[in-house]
Amino acid sequence: MSCQTLPVAPGKECTYGEAADGPLKVVAFLCNWCSYAGADKAGASQLPVPAELSVIRVMCSGRIEPTLILEAFQKGADGVMVLACHPGDCHYKEGNLRAFCRAELLQRLVPQLGIDPKRFHFDYVSAAEAEKFSRITNEFIGQLKSAAP
Amino acid sequence: MSTLAKTAVILCNCSGIISERIDWQRVRSLLANHPAKPVFSVDELACGADNLEQLGAWLKSEQPERVVVAACSPRDHEATFRRLLADAGINPWFMQMVNVREQVAWVTEDPGAATAKTARLVHAALNRVLRHEPLSERSVPVRTDVAVIGSGPAGMQAALTLARAGRRVTLIEKEPVIGGLPVRFEELFPNLECGPCLLEPVMGELLHGHESANVNLLTLSEVTEVKGSFGNWTLSVKQKPRYINPDLCIGCMCCSTVCPGRRPNHWNVSGEIAAVDVPFAGALPNLPHIDADACLRLRGEECTACVTECPVEGSLFFEDQEQDHIVEAGAIIVASGAVEKQELPAAFTGVADVHTAYSFERLLAMNGPSGGELLKADGTKPQSLAIVQCAGSLDSGEAAYCSGICCRAAIKYAHLAAGKVEGITVTRLIREQSLPGVDAGRQLQHDHSTVVRYDAFNALSVSANDAGRSISISGGATIPADMIVLCRPLVPGEGTAACSSLLELDLDDGGFIAQMHSLSGSCATTLKGVYLAGSCRGAGDIREAFATGTAAAGLALSDLVAGRDLIIDPQVAVVDATTCAGCKTCIQLCPYKAITWNDIEKVSDVSDILCRGCGTCVAACPAGAITGRGFSREMLRAELEGVLS
Repeated sequence: MSCQTLPVAPGKECTYGEAADGPLKVVAFLCNWCSYAGADKAGASQLPVPAELSVIRVMCSGRIEPTLILEAFQKGADGVMVLACHPGDCHYKEGNLRAFCRAELLQRLVPQLGIDPKRFHFDYVSAAEAEKFSRITNEFIGQLKSAAP
Repeated sequence: MSTLAKTAVILCNCSGIISERIDWQRVRSLLANHPAKPVFSVDELACGADNLEQLGAWLKSEQPERVVVAACSPRDHEATFRRLLADAGINPWFMQMVNVREQVAWVTEDPGAATAKTARLVHAALNRVLRHEPLSERSVPVRTDVAVIGSGPAGMQAALTLARAGRRVTLIEKEPVIGGLPVRFEELFPNLECGPCLLEPVMGELLHGHESANVNLLTLSEVTEVKGSFGNWTLSVKQKPRYINPDLCIGCMCCSTVCPGRRPNHWNVSGEIAAVDVPFAGALPNLPHIDADACLRLRGEECTACVTECPVEGSLFFEDQEQDHIVEAGAIIVASGAVEKQELPAAFTGVADVHTAYSFERLLAMNGPSGGELLKADGTKPQSLAIVQCAGSLDSGEAAYCSGICCRAAIKYAHLAAGKVEGITVTRLIREQSLPGVDAGRQLQHDHSTVVRYDAFNALSVSANDAGRSISISGGATIPADMIVLCRPLVPGEGTAACSSLLELDLDDGGFIAQMHSLSGSCATTLKGVYLAGSCRGAGDIREAFATGTAAAGLALSDLVAGRDLIIDPQVAVVDATTCAGCKTCIQLCPYKAITWNDIEKVSDVSDILCRGCGTCVAACPAGAITGRGFSREMLRAELEGVLS
């Protein structure tokens, strides 16, 4: 559905959803300093990360406004993750705490919009936690797959 | 901005590491329908020097307006490819990287899935890069002079380190003398070195050494206002009158020997000194200071005692006035120190022979109130000494933290007391004991005291009977205590509170100035261009004061280099004055105090010098009036639509 809204030329079907890619669309917002670095480390450690996951890098998890997450659902995301630095580790001191507060708010809000709150996941991933990044992304997508109709 | 801006896509094989998992041919065919109609270059190793040269030539011939680089993590080579664009005459912020090595090729086993995911991410990057705005770095000339607030060991060390590097330093001290607290101590732990002996060479170098011309010392001075930002601070300083002409006074102190005026002797915590005097023996600069409240003449009475005695006419300068100074500096080092908490709990208030650590320090000193003899108020020697450590520290009602210096000071007191009164019983009452390091360990090996543990400071009481006086631990031991020393917590002083308020610096739970990072940035603050030295950062010892003084000076030296402008990263937050509703939400949120209220326009202003580009304010602005350059709403939404397509 989102293919029609932006750059794919009119009348053309979007073709990225190949069989191996699976039908799920999952977006993960990662902060540059901890969780994105943790995702890079998962790569360097050759740990599996689901192909369905698309990472959007921001400098700080505090940059993510709740509406952006709601828009992700609106545009067809099956799941949205926000991964932040651990409390006390934020490169910008406290942006992760803002992100946490917004995540708490969203957890309560999304059911009102008919979205299963399990489709939204907030977590902390440090630059060292490659294994955790691999594990929670696989768990999240596994859970979305099992919940899919 | 046109959605049809010509876009070049660089696909990197990373010497086969990427291309063994990702089929670039397939990616190109999947992206063929993208309206940006990108042109592609598949490169064996895009970051290699030769390859960068070839890519530069290719970009010059293709002349794209935007560039997407699908290669490794932007954490590796974003700067490399920005330079590539700049060298090819393209604005370096018209570039978006796609992390296909770390986040696709290395983590996706199935090549088909990896290829499809890569196409999806490149598609999103193409969407995003079309919405990039041209940015440019701004350069601002900076001052290399530094203002140091506080002249204890930390401030002096910072000032000297800077002066040795040829920097102009203004050293601002609220007292008439320099040296801080330890210059008043006769013997310092761990090695019983004399405080003035340690500090006088430092003070001498500061006042009269080779680099002293670089140091402008303002004593009796306090900062009243700070304006500006990193590289260009302006400090307003008020200097109280000394009533002594420093150019004429020779420091003979003849005046103080004849002065009839009296003021309390704060140095010894007992007795009095003359109205014109130095606060303590050997204080530097070697100039007396007149206490206007104690001087008969300044109080309007007829008195010429000092003027008559003074061998240099004009040295006493009763017409001296308060002066205002403007200090311009590129950086500020706060070294305003900590103080011993003075108030005593009720159980010890008004009880004879109860000392704080500082007053006991003076009692032990050869130039102290009893000439170095350990005497009680009645003039007799104590037979027992109880040193109460953690007397208010580790206590949620007073100071919840460990003051860090009391254990080592208390073992020193036990050692000195044992040397002064033969057979004295010394007991250290402790809640916890912290003695890190080799030299503190050596102190402990030679401890002269018995150690008794207690649970809570308010569970201690003092009682006397025929056998003498003692401290009782509620429900526990009774400890002989002819004399009592309370190791009160080290707390931030008024100077530290004033500095944090003037500079709007955050405080930690103990009221000390919050460090940028407790491990990796303990001498920096969240405010760029403001550094910390000594115990304004938290209770600490002299060793830490010297070390952090050097460290803070090092930060100022590396951040402010003569002839090197401050380059400001353009990826900062920008307020649109036409949509800002003036709610001030952002001002409270900014961790760097980069946002201020513009009372004329009634909008928030972001200082690009102070902003670090986290985007917290961008996400929080209810009016959507703040743009995070490089991570704007439009860019993130375009990227989002791309990955969901």
